[in-house]
Amino acid sequence: MKMFRELRFLTALWKANLLSAMEYRIPFLTQVLGMMLNNAVYFVFWVIFFDRFDNVGGWGLRDMFILFGIVATSFGLGIFLFGNATSLADHIATGRLDYYLSLPRPVLLHQLASRSVTSGLGDFFYGLVSFAFAGQYGPQSIARFLLGAIFGAMIFVSFLTLVQSLAFWIGNASMIASQATNAIITFALYPITLFDGSAKLILFTLIPAALVGSVPAEFVRAFTWTQLFQIVGAGLVICTLSIFVFYRGLRRYESGSAIQVQV
Amino acid sequence: MAAISVHRLAKSFEARQKAAGMRGSLRALVRPVKRLVEAVREISFEMDQAELLGFIGPNGAGKSTTIKMLTGILHPTSGHASVLDFVPWKQRQKLAFHIGTVFGQRPQLWYHLPAVDTFLLFGKIYEMDDRETERRIAFLAEAFEIQHLLETPVRKLSLGQRMRCEVAASLLHKPRLLLLDEPSIGLDVVAKQRIRDTVRRMNDEEGVGILLTSHDAGDIEALCKRVIIINHGQIIYQDRVSALKRQYLTTKQVDVRYDREIETAFTFPGVQVLKTGRYGMKLRFDSRRTSVERVISGLAEFGNLVDVTISDPSLERVIRTIYEADETRRKGERNGHA
Amino acid sequence: MPSMGASSTIGLSGSRLKALDKYFSIFKIQLINAFAYPADLFSRVFSMLIFMWVFLQLWTVTYAAMGQTQIDGLTLRDTLWYLMIAEMVLLSKPRLARTIAENVKDGTVAYLLNRPYHFLLYQLSVGLGDSLLRMVVNAAAGGALIWLMLGPPPNWLGVPLVVIALLFAWCIDFCLNAMIGLLAFLTEDVSAFEWIYSKLVLILGGVLIPLDFFPDWLRDFALSLPFAYTTYAPARIFIDPAWSDFSGLLLRQVAWLVALSILLGLFFQLGVRRLNVNGG
Repeated sequence: MKMFRELRFLTALWKANLLSAMEYRIPFLTQVLGMMLNNAVYFVFWVIFFDRFDNVGGWGLRDMFILFGIVATSFGLGIFLFGNATSLADHIATGRLDYYLSLPRPVLLHQLASRSVTSGLGDFFYGLVSFAFAGQYGPQSIARFLLGAIFGAMIFVSFLTLVQSLAFWIGNASMIASQATNAIITFALYPITLFDGSAKLILFTLIPAALVGSVPAEFVRAFTWTQLFQIVGAGLVICTLSIFVFYRGLRRYESGSAIQVQV
Repeated sequence: MAAISVHRLAKSFEARQKAAGMRGSLRALVRPVKRLVEAVREISFEMDQAELLGFIGPNGAGKSTTIKMLTGILHPTSGHASVLDFVPWKQRQKLAFHIGTVFGQRPQLWYHLPAVDTFLLFGKIYEMDDRETERRIAFLAEAFEIQHLLETPVRKLSLGQRMRCEVAASLLHKPRLLLLDEPSIGLDVVAKQRIRDTVRRMNDEEGVGILLTSHDAGDIEALCKRVIIINHGQIIYQDRVSALKRQYLTTKQVDVRYDREIETAFTFPGVQVLKTGRYGMKLRFDSRRTSVERVISGLAEFGNLVDVTISDPSLERVIRTIYEADETRRKGERNGHA
Repeated sequence: MPSMGASSTIGLSGSRLKALDKYFSIFKIQLINAFAYPADLFSRVFSMLIFMWVFLQLWTVTYAAMGQTQIDGLTLRDTLWYLMIAEMVLLSKPRLARTIAENVKDGTVAYLLNRPYHFLLYQLSVGLGDSLLRMVVNAAAGGALIWLMLGPPPNWLGVPLVVIALLFAWCIDFCLNAMIGLLAFLTEDVSAFEWIYSKLVLILGGVLIPLDFFPDWLRDFALSLPFAYTTYAPARIFIDPAWSDFSGLLLRQVAWLVALSILLGLFFQLGVRRLNVNGG
């Protein structure tokens, strides 16, 4: 029942987001199409690469289409629905959580869903196109793709929330947070087979790039229980963790009253 | 029953100290220097349902920090508070259904959307049914005279218009208590007056209690029945506004101009000459000791009057007098301890 | 006033030296200013290390899979030092086109016209000051990683030569960026051009993958455009400073630089004339 109420509230928020974005039709379209083109340019790298080399760590061009597809779709979905995750640190540091704290809704959910990153929609559609290029049209692969994308979005948003929540403890965390975001996306866009040992461990834990990239991409190619378990388990764990850390930090929230004394 | 009761509420922040430049940043990273800043120091007060209470104090006095603790935005360092029988920082969401808040420097309306869209969203947020929301919007639009503004994207409204919409939005869910933090900041005189009038009307008609912070004495004068003056996180004065006026507004100031140059000095019992120019003077006297009538006739005998202005010191000045007395007392205490 | 452009610097009389001194001061101030934002520097270094780490893994695996020590004449170590220089250039760029476009739009250009310095030379000094510290820091971080994993630069002669090549590369990039910025005289929003330019550098400049690994036709195409001379040229010279290669790439850099500076000068004159007609 409570779930249902929050869902209704989220729908209203998303509607407001969309209305807000549509106020500027041309910039809206430019951002969506621009981001699709942007991603395509990066993919040119792989086209050139695989023109010269057969495969890398067992991955070929078709696999890269799936990888880019899953990463772009889930990241786009995440920042389109919960786009404010990218400004959470800033909101914490400058006291802009006040707004959400004065309204009768869960602070974190309300904050996250209060802005859509328009270019995210471009990422989302690019991801779908990229997946289509891979040519896996079976209903089961499509279902696996959707599952991977949804949990990927969840991991992306949770990861963003987690690093941005550092702002409760260290003040200005925007820079660290944006670097962490860049890191997870960069690593996610390469096959996990390139990394070994401790690097691999990091990409499954501290910067869970493998769980939004290679793991779901391999899962789309072929079903395995291990990967299903990894995707769903990781999603739930990091989501819970991010909520816990955020609310832990909220007790230290200073509403922008913290003064930095220059000496 | 008290709508708000606050007992020894205190809040301190850790201020991070950092020297400028690369070396400063590195040092702050390795060994951060922290200093405790006490924003609110054990204040206690009560507010009745339907009261109009003003919180006034200079910037950084702790007004906003107090109001943020009362809405559950900030967790206090120590002390107790109950707002409409809720403990704000523990029952924030429940409390939020019954209070409205306006933070002058933190707009709540969606910037790119017409105000009405935010109103409808708020209807959902407060779980009102759609018909009720619409009726309420119509009522508030009339009360705040914003019917013609509701369909315009907020970014295209003037600051005064936007603020009227902000206050209206905060009343959408018929709160029992309205907390306004610097609602008139940056507004011109006319816009300020419109906001004050409407807030007052809502207090009359719906019995909504108003707690208002401001550094503008005009807000307090026009709106509040009772005032709390806060400085350095402590309450230094609390009483009815009328009492404050009676106590301090007895000093009058007179500006006079004559048609000829002033040659001799003006002296009159009980009157202090502040400034003498070639054609005019500035005087001050206490109206309890010397009547206005006598001073004026004295001035008329002195020469041919061209112009006379009699003014009260502004509430602003009165309050400044209270701050200054407080600062002197603090200094005295500090020396006393030493 | 715009006659004080680079083209009129004939002979180093006392006043000319003073003029240079002026720009050197601007450059110096900007350089010192860059020290005031350590967080920004740290985050750049972090990006640099991440990219280099990923490239390191990618190419190690690729070389291993090919079972060859050289691909198209480059060893694994060559490739990584190449990518380090190219990436360093990319990550050290100031956002000049945007700054210049803003100056054009808000009228600063008109206001600076009757100042005793040339608008473009001013921007050049500022930009160079902005970039220098970033370049040094990025090169130090990226270089340390590659050195640690694969060994020292392939040829020490590359170190002094790359400095020259980098200076030319930077100036070519400056000309292109400045022209994009000056497009603001004609069109409201130049960000699309800025975007296209950055992507062209990314692909045709050989930043993500050395041009040597491109199909022949694409490499020849890339080498006939100016973009490769902002990134590929210094990176290639660094790993293989053999005289023929060096002089060949360097000559082409100089040719492009001369052509683009003249073009930029014309662009600026046209823009200023437009400004005079429209009154700002």
